Amino acid sequence: MGHLSIKVHLFRVLGLLALSPLLAAPAPAAPHSRHYIDQRTGVDAWRWSGEGISLQLIQRLPDQTRAFFLARGFPRPAVERLASHCVFQTIFHNTAGSGGGVVHLDLANWRIDHGQSLILKKQWQQQWRRMDVPRPARIAFQWSLFPTVQQFAPGDWNMGMTTYPVAPGATVDVHFSWRRHGKLHHGVIQGARCAPDVDMEDKTQ
Amino acid sequence: MRRLWLALLVSLVLVPMAGYGAGQSLTAMHPRPRAPGFALKDMNGKVHHLSDYRGQVVLVNFWATWCPPCRREMPSMERAWKKLKKQDVTILAVNVGEDVDTIFPFTGNYPVTFPILLDQSSKVVKRWPVLGLPTTFVVDPRGRIAYRAVGGRKWDAPALLKTIRSLIPPDKKPAAPTRTGAGR
Repeated sequence: MGHLSIKVHLFRVLGLLALSPLLAAPAPAAPHSRHYIDQRTGVDAWRWSGEGISLQLIQRLPDQTRAFFLARGFPRPAVERLASHCVFQTIFHNTAGSGGGVVHLDLANWRIDHGQSLILKKQWQQQWRRMDVPRPARIAFQWSLFPTVQQFAPGDWNMGMTTYPVAPGATVDVHFSWRRHGKLHHGVIQGARCAPDVDMEDKTQ
Repeated sequence: MRRLWLALLVSLVLVPMAGYGAGQSLTAMHPRPRAPGFALKDMNGKVHHLSDYRGQVVLVNFWATWCPPCRREMPSMERAWKKLKKQDVTILAVNVGEDVDTIFPFTGNYPVTFPILLDQSSKVVKRWPVLGLPTTFVVDPRGRIAYRAVGGRKWDAPALLKTIRSLIPPDKKPAAPTRTGAGR
């Protein structure tokens, strides 16, 4: 009888041991989006996290865009064309653990309000060729924009600019998607405000 | 019985913690593709062929000065280099699209002692499976890509050093300390 009781206890304990990772591991947090102020730069930023990924959109001032690309050999008209659009510094992170699977990202599937697509790298490069933007400047542009298609293994992340067909200062809802294990997932960052441009009239007063 | 409860308690604490080290990880390549060869000049004009390093473990890091995560990971790469260079591990940091005049001031703020190579035309990076910067590859002694890291890492993290060291051929690993008896 004593042996039987010990065996029952043993099975219970082993059962608990098997379940313990599930009991003690933090439950996956529900997806959530939040607005914050970037501590270093003071600009507005938005972060969506959940389902093993995180996405951050950080305002990028038109003047930052101008300075960055002028310093890399962009002619003024090309820089102004870029700076007249909404640009976010974008950070995507596959935060899933080692068994979480590869994330496939395709910016061509992302949308903002009214179903508009983002302006992708290829579209810009076509414009730069027409505008005779020098090759070194186009190389810098190629690497500074977020890749249109990319795969992220667990722990991988990337940072780059994403560009939108709206003017600086506009507010957009960014509907994004990604694939993991073949399944399409969706998320949305609502009310992301593109950094406004400097008002030259205000400056001269 | 007390031992079983102790085991349960330990598992409750330790098993979930096992996943927390996953932040610093490398993606293993299966199968290992051949690393595309290159011949690139360093800051002093010396040409480095990737094939010169056959037989060693090589970290090939693609980066640019304007890329914030590239800058952030550089100091940890330098610390890793100091720990690994005596063990036949090489780091080659391939700058994409910039010239010496741009990179030189950068090295004043981020002093590194491993070679910085110049891929100004970005011809080399296009032959590697790179979509964003930084991306780093760990090339095994047979010249194959064994691991890949997209995005910055803390390269002197023990988990990463362990993974890199696992590729060092046994005959080149530092000998384990042996017990030398006084009477021998």
